[in-house]
Amino acid sequence: MKTVKNEEKKETKRANEPDKNEVSGKTGKKQPFEIDRRSVYKCVQCGTCRSVCPVFDAVGWESANTRGRMLIIKSLLEGRVPSEDVLSSLASCTTCGICAAKCPAGANPPEVVEAARAQLVKCGITTSAQEKLKSAVITYGNSFGETKDRKHWLSETKRSKLPEKSEYVYFVGCFDSYRYPEFAKKTFKVLQRFGVTLLPDEQCCASPLLRTGFLEEAEKVMERNLEQIRKVGAHTIITSCAGCYTTLKNNYPGELRVISLPEFLAEHLDELKLKKLDLTVAYHDPCHLGRHNKIYDAPRKVIQAICTLKEMKNIKENSRCCGGGGGVRIGYPDISLELAKNRLKDVPEGVDYIVTSCPLCIRNLRDAGGNIEVIDIIELVAMAMK
Amino acid sequence: MDITEELRKIVGGRLSVSPSELYCYSSDASQVKGMPDYVVRPKSTDEVSLIVRLAYENNIPVTARGAGTGLAGGAVPVGGGIVLDMSGMNRILEIDIDNIQVVVEPGIIQDALNEALKPYGFFFPPNPGSSAMCTIGGMIAYNASGMRCVKYGTTRNYVRDLEVVLADGTVIHTGSKMLKSAAGYDLTQLMIGSEGTLGIVTKASLKVAPLPKTRKLVIASFENAEIAGQAVVKTFSNGVIPSACEILDRISLQVLKRYDPKLVLPAEGDVLLFEVDGTENSAREAAEQIIKVCSPLALSIKLAESEKEMTDIWAARKLVGAAISRLDPTKTRIYVGEDVGVPIKKIPELLKKAQEISEKFNLPAMKYGHIGDGNLHLALFIDVLNKDEWDRLNQAADLIHRTAIELGGTVSSEHGVGAARAEYMEAQWGPALEVMRAIKKALDPKGILNPGKLGL
Repeated sequence: MKTVKNEEKKETKRANEPDKNEVSGKTGKKQPFEIDRRSVYKCVQCGTCRSVCPVFDAVGWESANTRGRMLIIKSLLEGRVPSEDVLSSLASCTTCGICAAKCPAGANPPEVVEAARAQLVKCGITTSAQEKLKSAVITYGNSFGETKDRKHWLSETKRSKLPEKSEYVYFVGCFDSYRYPEFAKKTFKVLQRFGVTLLPDEQCCASPLLRTGFLEEAEKVMERNLEQIRKVGAHTIITSCAGCYTTLKNNYPGELRVISLPEFLAEHLDELKLKKLDLTVAYHDPCHLGRHNKIYDAPRKVIQAICTLKEMKNIKENSRCCGGGGGVRIGYPDISLELAKNRLKDVPEGVDYIVTSCPLCIRNLRDAGGNIEVIDIIELVAMAMK
Repeated sequence: MDITEELRKIVGGRLSVSPSELYCYSSDASQVKGMPDYVVRPKSTDEVSLIVRLAYENNIPVTARGAGTGLAGGAVPVGGGIVLDMSGMNRILEIDIDNIQVVVEPGIIQDALNEALKPYGFFFPPNPGSSAMCTIGGMIAYNASGMRCVKYGTTRNYVRDLEVVLADGTVIHTGSKMLKSAAGYDLTQLMIGSEGTLGIVTKASLKVAPLPKTRKLVIASFENAEIAGQAVVKTFSNGVIPSACEILDRISLQVLKRYDPKLVLPAEGDVLLFEVDGTENSAREAAEQIIKVCSPLALSIKLAESEKEMTDIWAARKLVGAAISRLDPTKTRIYVGEDVGVPIKKIPELLKKAQEISEKFNLPAMKYGHIGDGNLHLALFIDVLNKDEWDRLNQAADLIHRTAIELGGTVSSEHGVGAARAEYMEAQWGPALEVMRAIKKALDPKGILNPGKLGL
């Protein structure tokens, strides 16, 4: 510890160019910590992100905001040896992307954070939650470690009648398969009319692996899905999960046309013949559908075809994260729940439902309590089809 | 004595000594670095007082920090010790419209304060570009201002009373809710701009101002920045006091257009933004007069057509400083030599010299700032992976600081001195710096409050 002596002149240190970039991990081996330096040095530490980072809002420590994370990553590039506290900063980012949307310098912190997580994985530095998630996806093909059939929500008869070939595939996702099978059922009921089929042995889309840094493992899982997609002969994948959507769209090869369920519904509104309902609902923009992929209008178009939309306090690009993404729900459940509670504060008075189009958001927002039921957009559509 | 344990007794879990956390508190937006030994997040004046007392008894440096948006290393603990993260003390304690003031804790964010005042029809006028994230405590410590200080003044003009924790932990009030006082030294003014070297602000009573009925924006472009500077001098000498008067040179303009292509900005030249406020009639008259006075010098001049057009331009202007990477991804804005100021009449000369310095060191630069109060934000940007560019950058920054002093100006108009500009205090102040040192010694004999700052 330093103490002050009155006449002592402290020399002001200035930033020097980094010359080391190796870190030692649990493996004991020195590994290069490789991240595109320019993507990190774009950050001028102005603190704009500090004012919008939802995790920081809940936690209060500098290491829990984007600027802190960028600083820590910078320090690792400059040779600092990572420890567990590095993880608590980097692994607590939901990758919601509001920092990227607001960054005046045009930095993309979620990408940088994901790249840093991958480097830490390479060095053998991970949280137990990350490891658990990885093991579940690799062993069982889903993020929950569920052992039952992924298509358990579909009757044996219906399963046997699934077309082997189709131009359209409904990618169900882990959440709807295992946690919200009723959404899967309702979604497939609508999509079936358009000749959409399911993959014979759908695997997790690999989003949990990609977001938490397990790139090699993710490649293998993605390949298993890709093989099946090619075999089915599909050129279009429809998914109702925002996490699956962004992964299929941005991490899978560009040959696929990926559309979200809200987009599909918006495109086929006339054919769906929906009746008007006397309801007022709010719409929560899932980060991975909204900010990451700019899908703002399609879900609103569907909602407004059915009932009255009353917007939340922060919407579209400014929408606040539900707290579920980036591995935070599983790794830091308390923080995750706090974010969900904060998001519920944005809900306006006088709405019957909070509608969204991401099962992870639904799960987290439901867990946060509140008086208003959170539903998937397919449930609203199903009500209007009765 | 186990300092960690003693601190924990005061703040409980709001203490960190983890290396990553400490690292996050080792810098701000400047190039100054310094690792703290402890970070604490106090929640009350009592806690701050106990922490400072502990530091006093054990000769440990204490550096207060708001949102860490500073541009001079003011909140960077260059002498190690304790960082007091004040941003958790962020309550608005009282909105007292009858006395036209508000009582706040120092961690409140400037925009959040104004959001709360809006329903009452009032606002806290000093508005730095960082108003969305900077804290009032930081604004007081550095006498921050911003775009509207040309008419409304700086933070200094709005503080009525401060609750301050002194170096030994004693808590004092420096003023009252009174509009004026003739009793004794003005300790409030002494504390403002003292950068946490004399005491830690834990509460502030601030004067607020009624929101103007309307605002209008005149956008004018000129062949070069020097002519734009002449237009500013002419506007003032014609008796018009705009509520903001900003310059954006052509590079800043390109950056803004890249940031938001929909912005309605002139196609060429260096641009002046004149904002006038007041009643519909007074604002219109002032805008018309600016147009009349500046037209002979301008390439183009127009009144913003809608509220939205105006709001979008100001929102983008606030972010221009860091946005250079959008124009050239290999370049990063480095905040050095970014806050000089000169008397209004010397503006054209400063602009000319700034351009010469940029050319001499072959460093591209944006020139923007609050030209209406003589404050130029010279934005130098470099490839941070190029050592030679770092060297040239530091030389250019040194020269711009010395140039400002030669022109009778200041090395910092609103960002503060911190550690980044400490070396220029002697040149700017001469023997007056000794008076500052004597004050520092009297109030902080052990030198524990934010050591290494202000050239003290």
